[in-house]
Amino acid sequence: MAEIFDSLATTLVDTFKEATFVLPELIVLIAALIAPLVFYLTKNGKIVAAVSFALIAVSALVTMLLMHTVTYGVAASMFEFDAFSSLMMLLFMAVAFLTIMVSPCHVETTKHAGEYYALICAIVAGMMFAASAANLLAIFISVEVVSISSYALVALKKNDPRASEAAVKYLIIGAFSTALTLFGMSMIFGVTGTLDIAEISAIVPTMAANWAFIVGCIGMIAGYGFKIAAVPFHSWAPDVYEGASTPVSGFLATASKKMGFAVLFKIFFALFIIGSTGVFTLEFQYVFAIIAAITMTVGNVVAISQSNIKRMLAYSSVAQAGYIMIALAVMSQYATTGALFHMFTHVVMKGGAFIIVAALITAGLGEKIEDYKGLAKRAPLVAAAMMLFLFSLAGIPPLAGFTSKFVLFSGAIFVNGAVSMQWMWLALIAVLNSAISLYYYARVVKAMYIEKPACEDKVSVPKPFMVAILLCVIGVIVLGVYPEYLIDLCSKAATALWLL
Amino acid sequence: MIDISFFLVFSAILFGIGMFGLISSKRGLVTLMSIELMLNAANINFVAFASYGGHTDGMVFVIFTIAIAAAEVAVGIALMLNAYKIQKTTEVDKLSTMRW
Repeated sequence: MAEIFDSLATTLVDTFKEATFVLPELIVLIAALIAPLVFYLTKNGKIVAAVSFALIAVSALVTMLLMHTVTYGVAASMFEFDAFSSLMMLLFMAVAFLTIMVSPCHVETTKHAGEYYALICAIVAGMMFAASAANLLAIFISVEVVSISSYALVALKKNDPRASEAAVKYLIIGAFSTALTLFGMSMIFGVTGTLDIAEISAIVPTMAANWAFIVGCIGMIAGYGFKIAAVPFHSWAPDVYEGASTPVSGFLATASKKMGFAVLFKIFFALFIIGSTGVFTLEFQYVFAIIAAITMTVGNVVAISQSNIKRMLAYSSVAQAGYIMIALAVMSQYATTGALFHMFTHVVMKGGAFIIVAALITAGLGEKIEDYKGLAKRAPLVAAAMMLFLFSLAGIPPLAGFTSKFVLFSGAIFVNGAVSMQWMWLALIAVLNSAISLYYYARVVKAMYIEKPACEDKVSVPKPFMVAILLCVIGVIVLGVYPEYLIDLCSKAATALWLL
Repeated sequence: MIDISFFLVFSAILFGIGMFGLISSKRGLVTLMSIELMLNAANINFVAFASYGGHTDGMVFVIFTIAIAAAEVAVGIALMLNAYKIQKTTEVDKLSTMRW
């Protein structure tokens, strides 16, 4: 079996040469380009969805083949295909699968299917490029591809006042963050004289402390802080997630945030870690730690007062971003492994919750938490799945959320193999926050299981939604009970990030 | 030859004007123009560093940035038009059906 894989990988490398290492991205890009054409020819949204789904599946298979045979390399000295980028690519494609699976039968999905799937594929391709980029120019362009396509994707829910408003807010705040990032990058370019991340990480430890470097770092933290919705740059997230059609909200909440983290990990680990004694390392670690603490607290506290379930999930996803930022504060391989693992579990639990919200909107329920009253009687399976996802988000064992939070928070306590007091307070705040979050998740569960429904009619959910929900349930349970395989992959990815 | 700090101060002032415009203006289209100013401030930095440091990467970066800024504005104006068609305003203050 192994020989077949090896020979397949060798054939790929022989055929495509250097381009093999951007092959997964290129396949998804082809899907983005032909989606409008397929829609023009067939006028059937389901066929477009099937074509994009198939092409992304091919891309995922290629990625897994290259990953399995450890065929890593660099394309055009810009895009590095390694353990980290391949793992992130699989994450983005998993989110795309779930989104494309449920989109055709969702009521809010636009009739302009060609544009819709083209934009989703373009965003996924951009994210994959961003995950593998090894150069500030490549990172900037990939992130912009994702951002600009996302603005349009949010506005595609046409004739809806909330969607149009969300798109304008997203655009203004996103463009502002682009400008900040670009200004920061120009400063880093000025002090180091290069755009290549590996070269930058070699130069940073040798140079004296200077203000341009600090301005550059702050610009990039602020700019990419918007992308991951870290407080105080989070104000767009609830509006966008509420305004966009629900599968798109789920897509943005799970995938686009992870891209921000992939980019932050790449840039800041290169700046501060790889040269062992970078300038201002400790100061910036504390900046990240404080942002992380504020982000999780604000996200969880504001989520308590939400009555709209999409907004509540949005704030909870702000809080999750705070948890993942612990890795940026601690800057250890163990914490990064936990952060990568938490990204995956976040996809299944938050993605699953958004898919259930989308399914119930299709079935005619509202977005308010009070609309979920007595759901356990009206749709027992969906209610049970929702309860699993919410408890997993709160971190209740043995679900996936507990395992990943356990690895992530213990990353803040065990630094370099020993118990360290330095980040103990951060782990403590994170644990307290998990307790707060249980309150508002339990409120939804209470509405579903204890309160009396307004009407007793059964809620029927379309089949594709059930399949997607089932996949997420399997993910939440399997990753919770048997996490070793994925943790192993994440730890390899974290190591690759260190050797950049 | 002029010292590089003149360019950097100029670009910092330009960036500040852009940021002021973004924060103070209520009109959607003016915010787009302000963002354009901020992007151009960064471009000036890149070109200045590139020509003083002798690294051509910076100039290449600027060409890409200009293209991306154009794409951003094209999508931005389309979104503003969409918002105007539905809500009859592009004033950022009045686009506030969603809060907290």
